Amino acid sequence: MLKFIVRRIFWTIPVLLVVIFLTFIMMRQIEGNPFRQTERNVPESIQRNLERKFHLDRPWFVQYLYYVKGVATFDLGPSLVIRGRDVNDIVKEHFPKSVELGIYAFLFAIVVGVPLGMLAALRHNTAVDYGAMFFSNVFHAVPSFLVATLLIYFVALEAGALPTSGWTTWQSKILPSIALGFAPMALFARLVRGSMLETLQQDYVRTARAKGLRYRRVVGLHVLRNSLIPVITAAGPLLGFIITGSFVIELIFNIPGIGQYYVTAVSSRDYSVVMGLTVLLASIVIFANLLVDILYGILDPRTRDART
Amino acid sequence: MRTKTLWLWLALLVTSLALVAAGCGGDDDEAGGTGATTAEGGAEAAEQVITVNWTTEPPSLDPGLASDTTSANILFNIMDPLVKLDDDLNPIPSAAESFETSEDGKTVTFVLRDDLKWTNGDPVTAQDFEWSWKRTVSPELAADYAYQFSPIVGADDYNACDPKKDDCAALRDKMGVKAVDDKTLEVTLNNPTPWFLQQAAHHSFLAVNRKAVEQFGDKWTEAANIVTNGPFQLENWQHNANIDLVKWDEWRGAADVKLTRVNGRMITDGLTAVQAFEAGEIDVLNGGLPTDEMSRLKELPEYEQYTGLGTYYYGFNIKNIPDVKQRKAMSLAVDRRSLIDNVFQADQLPAAGMTPEGMPGFDVINPESPWAPESADMEQAKQLMSEVANPKTNITLYVNDSPGHREAAVAVQAQWKELGIESTIKQQEFQQYLEFLGPPPNDDVDVYRLGWIGDFVDAINFLELWTCDSGNNSTTFCSEEYDAKIEEARTTVDNDARFELYGEAEEILFGEDGDLPIIPIYFYTYNNLERESVKETFNLNLLDQVDLTKVVVTE
Repeated sequence: MLKFIVRRIFWTIPVLLVVIFLTFIMMRQIEGNPFRQTERNVPESIQRNLERKFHLDRPWFVQYLYYVKGVATFDLGPSLVIRGRDVNDIVKEHFPKSVELGIYAFLFAIVVGVPLGMLAALRHNTAVDYGAMFFSNVFHAVPSFLVATLLIYFVALEAGALPTSGWTTWQSKILPSIALGFAPMALFARLVRGSMLETLQQDYVRTARAKGLRYRRVVGLHVLRNSLIPVITAAGPLLGFIITGSFVIELIFNIPGIGQYYVTAVSSRDYSVVMGLTVLLASIVIFANLLVDILYGILDPRTRDART
Repeated sequence: MRTKTLWLWLALLVTSLALVAAGCGGDDDEAGGTGATTAEGGAEAAEQVITVNWTTEPPSLDPGLASDTTSANILFNIMDPLVKLDDDLNPIPSAAESFETSEDGKTVTFVLRDDLKWTNGDPVTAQDFEWSWKRTVSPELAADYAYQFSPIVGADDYNACDPKKDDCAALRDKMGVKAVDDKTLEVTLNNPTPWFLQQAAHHSFLAVNRKAVEQFGDKWTEAANIVTNGPFQLENWQHNANIDLVKWDEWRGAADVKLTRVNGRMITDGLTAVQAFEAGEIDVLNGGLPTDEMSRLKELPEYEQYTGLGTYYYGFNIKNIPDVKQRKAMSLAVDRRSLIDNVFQADQLPAAGMTPEGMPGFDVINPESPWAPESADMEQAKQLMSEVANPKTNITLYVNDSPGHREAAVAVQAQWKELGIESTIKQQEFQQYLEFLGPPPNDDVDVYRLGWIGDFVDAINFLELWTCDSGNNSTTFCSEEYDAKIEEARTTVDNDARFELYGEAEEILFGEDGDLPIIPIYFYTYNNLERESVKETFNLNLLDQVDLTKVVVTE
């Protein structure tokens, strides 16, 4: 197992290099000038000063090498547009907020979604099942910004129960977490229901029941455990994407997370911020996948043996 | 049986949702009541605290690096400028108790007040200003606004210096700004520059604290490090979330400052901001109102509108549409009134020239172009169009993809169609768009939309755009006569004479025989929501700036 983990960690290095290379090339391919953010043209000498300051006057491969060296030493460089701030500062200040939001949303999704799916599977083809599935289909289809807007309208504005936006008090964190968690919750409910129905048909479940094990124990120990595999497959990358920031939710609730930096950096051609955040996002998705593989091994020892 | 239960469930779900909605609706009045503060009379409220939404994070609080109105707004309230602009936009003393321009107009001397100090206790000196200005011009800082200092002797040379090749220190010393003593700052200009004092009211001319800058480098603007010298102090700055100012009791004019605290938010999304305002969380939405909601918001008692110093226009690529009659016809066909009422919806002012309303001398400068009527003059437009020898009837209209521009382009497209002009609208993302426009513009561009926001109060700021070698002229319009007028205006110190020249320049662009390189569409307005308790005293000037020292919260 350890060997497997170590090997996977080493594999992330070439993957990251490829990510950096592709992002680097793509960013340079699109037109635009990070030093011109308004209609106003930048006078030539000022443009030259700026390029010199940020080493953009060097050949592209030198810039690339600088960058790779920076990433290796955990220095993502200064932002070209938000003067006086380094990408490291931006990550340090805003990433934790996105992670926090992502984790709450994820917990909400698991805590509500998994039991909902179980309930639907165990009460298969009853009104409970239909109700739960209707509910989860609707929320899987409804985009998060609509859920967010409805929540703000009814809970914050009409009822005045919670603040409309911000990320300061615990009250202000409830609505965004729920809004972001709704879609994954619906997804989890459907996944759990599907795989649980399948597991319930398995011979070993019938055997377990036949040898007199209590229903509760069969479901809790054997069925649930084996039904969670597809959930975990989906959960890994999902967690990765959720915690690297949901631009839309962060925008609507005015949460100072990393999501909006990613979007604004692309549109303002802030090369170093785009690169830095792409590296971050890639690392997290890679890490989440690694976590999934490890969890597979714990839940199903066969997968572990096959790969080590 | 099963379908029956399903329907039962559905019905239950719908009913319960409706009940929840109705239940929430019932609280409406109560919630609304707590949110709104009623304004009756002018009695000062006990608590002089307001919350303002600045709509975005200020990109930089370094006066040298800031290049946007949000940063400028914070800066002017935490720093003390040498001069500021009064209500009529004339420069008046602020940190400088007096200023004087020499006979030949080439030397400006500022004398500082005696009671200026930094928040760290040090006095504010003329040397601080000298050091700060040179820092902003320096090639190492690479400031966007270094060009603001162009009128000063040697500033451009210093800015263009290459530290690897040239002797920058020598160029730095040659720059025409000098602290004669602690209180006297002497500025030498290349030429008499009539608007230099207006320009000196720009935030890039603020002083920075040398100690703080040298100690903290790039990070000196963070709340924990910053040293300021204005009426408010930066208490807290959480990027992209909050920026809170508190009154600085030791400021020279603190006795007259009423507000004790200004909490700043940075809600970018217009709808979220309006919701926060309606929930009573915010007292002033400084801009950023969503267009979709404008018609409703305009009816609110909290709605307030200001004239802005900006012009929205459609530029022609003259190479592609060379016949001035066609350009005139196309301008005549644009219905400014209907665009403003139906598309832009912020009560902008229809434009019949380049220089916006509110600019000193506007009445003299404004050409009241016969080719830019408030409502379209289709008859005359068609008449002119029929006289065009080789009309270009298939044109490409470029707009960038920010909200509103496409909708406006579609309306204009319909208006031009009546002239027999088929236009294709192409939309580009802003950065790509700017590259595409050049100058010189891409050949595919026939007409493009842009706007111009002034950064100091003189019409030169708008009119120098259309000179031959202007870096912002994507029309390919180039007229020696026009350039000569602008050159002459540059050194004409007398305001009335200069305004006359501006008027003549506008005439070349938009007059009876004008060249119509652009179609002026509207002059910008700023639109706010302001709680009635501060509506009286929270006011924006033409440059979108608010003086928080004047704000008083009433009961």
